[in-house]
Amino acid sequence: MKTFKTGGIHPPEQKLTSGKAVEVMPHPQELAVPMSQHLGKPAKPVVKVGDEVKKGQLVGAADGFISANVHAPTSGKIKAVKQHPHPGGQYSMTVFITPDGKDEWLEGLNTPECDWKKLSKEEILKRITDAGVVGMGGAGFPSGVKLSPPRDKTIDTIILNGAECEPFLTADHRVMIEEPEAIVKGLEIITSLFQGQVSAYIGIESNKPDAAAALKKHADSKGIGIVVLETKYPQGAEKQLINAITGRTVNEGELPFDKGCLVHNIATAIAIYEAVCKNKPLIERVVTISGMEIHTAKNIRILVGTKFSEIAAFCGSMTEKTNQVITGGPMMGKAQFSLDVPVTKTTSGILFINNRGLEKSGEKTCIRCSRCISACPQNLQPWLLANTAQLRDFDTIELYGMANCTECGSCSYVCPSKRELVHWIKYAKTLASKRKQRQSA
Amino acid sequence: MYSESFIPAVASLGSLAFVLGIIILFVSKKFFVAEDPTVSMINALLPGVNCGACGYPSCSQFAEELVRTRNPSMTCPVGGGELAEKLGTALGITMAEPKPVTCVVLCQGHNGNARESAEYIGIRDCWAAAQAFAGTKQCRFACTGLGSCIAFCDFNAMRIENGLVVIDKELCTGCGACVPACPYGVLTMQEKKNERYLIACSSHDRGADTRKACDAGCTACQKCVRECPEQAIVIDNFLASIIQEKCTSCGKCLEVCPTKVNCILLERDMETVKSKKVP
Repeated sequence: MKTFKTGGIHPPEQKLTSGKAVEVMPHPQELAVPMSQHLGKPAKPVVKVGDEVKKGQLVGAADGFISANVHAPTSGKIKAVKQHPHPGGQYSMTVFITPDGKDEWLEGLNTPECDWKKLSKEEILKRITDAGVVGMGGAGFPSGVKLSPPRDKTIDTIILNGAECEPFLTADHRVMIEEPEAIVKGLEIITSLFQGQVSAYIGIESNKPDAAAALKKHADSKGIGIVVLETKYPQGAEKQLINAITGRTVNEGELPFDKGCLVHNIATAIAIYEAVCKNKPLIERVVTISGMEIHTAKNIRILVGTKFSEIAAFCGSMTEKTNQVITGGPMMGKAQFSLDVPVTKTTSGILFINNRGLEKSGEKTCIRCSRCISACPQNLQPWLLANTAQLRDFDTIELYGMANCTECGSCSYVCPSKRELVHWIKYAKTLASKRKQRQSA
Repeated sequence: MYSESFIPAVASLGSLAFVLGIIILFVSKKFFVAEDPTVSMINALLPGVNCGACGYPSCSQFAEELVRTRNPSMTCPVGGGELAEKLGTALGITMAEPKPVTCVVLCQGHNGNARESAEYIGIRDCWAAAQAFAGTKQCRFACTGLGSCIAFCDFNAMRIENGLVVIDKELCTGCGACVPACPYGVLTMQEKKNERYLIACSSHDRGADTRKACDAGCTACQKCVRECPEQAIVIDNFLASIIQEKCTSCGKCLEVCPTKVNCILLERDMETVKSKKVP
């Protein structure tokens, strides 16, 4: 079975919801649509308080090259445009919409399926960019930008990421079982954008044999390879996935297209298919609601902008023991400070957990056991990075390869001294970039 | 036995020391660098903490530059008027009188009146906490109370009390090293005055949001603006601020401020400006 070469861990899988079909959540009372749901510059709000919007209407226009459009998830009235907590850990300009319940599409959107083969490449790319499609795996890189790499780079491998290596999360798993046709079509559209011999793969971890079987039925005739990967974290990280499937190594400072690869998430492929064939903007996604402290764990299809509090109520509320709500998976996700934060295009899961007694407050000194070094998939020395960060020595930490850290959390997971290794590295990254800004200013 | 064994050791080491001594003497004569005695004299007068408040990396570099340029506008904020007078006498010029400044905290939200949003578990550092929303307090402009600034203070003038940074006015020299250490810009430098009023709040949230988060937050209600006889208070982006040049410290704004705790307008009795007399 294929896997990446160095490091990796195997935390308990905890896939509580892998057998549960995707449910559709009814429309919430209020939608908070953040303008920053992607990497890069936040979108500019183009609506005013009191405006009536239709479903799929543009509410935030992309501001600059690396940015993405944001659309109204349902029809309704704009209640406010103000700063609001964002699940990414900061405040973001947010458009509040009170739904009118009619759920009317803007004319020309959500059309019957058309044949994408008749469209030109420019038209396909334009539809993807206009629909505000971003990478739905977590980072949220605008897909239109990712699909137009620099001219001098040749892409020969396109990989769809269905590894879903984070514990608890099953959103991609369910989508692969329920909508394999859309995924394959999405992948075909992506492949058609590149010239020459392009091989396409879908990478799936071995703990999801049903998803692999469902996709195989549709993919085999199209010449798409289904690659079953070893169940190991972080199999779904971009660089690790490329290494596992093609054997190529993306080195420090390089991007996947430097090695002729392009990686997209399963959910992004569906979004691309819907944007191109149905003219449907990205306004909803499948999210796993899980964790030990939620009454019924579910996979739900949900409008972007739904607040966590309403989702918790839909899933039968959380228990009193809940002390942490996390967006994303438990390894890389972020703990939230408020249940007012909305679901964004990149929210793959919401976990309600009780980790009392597991708190990492008892940070002890490093005992040089080197477990973090064996666990690191990027060949770094996490203990050294953390120690240097503690000394606030930001020149040296760059020599140790801080920029290469993907913050996957494997080192913190294995550390017997319960050190906050990743937090220290993130801390150093923030302060080092702040210092650079100050020096250049 | 012993007398025989230590003689060669003493002799060899002694001769070695003698030869090296000669070399050192020669080198020090040959490569002698003439140092301006005024520089070392000025350097001795300076506080010697190398805080960087003057704009030079160390006190000795400030001294060199001062002796070289004899620029009367070069000031040491830490030493204040007293030092300026001394430096002027030593150099035989009239130094510009420095405006003594002090550090003020533009936040009143301690644990008693600012609402907590969530418990923060992680590195006890403001910058680390700033990655997860704005730390522990609901207000996103508030002092987190984790005290990253304390390490930057060379004069031990800062401490954390009840979840809020407190400045010891006696010890603060106004060097300004702490200002960039705060991720929220809660610390600023203000000119010293005997008595002063200032808006000790940094929240640019709307009034209702500020009130929800903190009892001592400026809600931009405009009452103080209307009351001020000198038109010294302006509101910008939901936060009032006092123009210190216009303020006469009449205290009328404090009387009308409706904020529950202590009001946002804070009276600060400053230590009197340092005496200018040279003893």
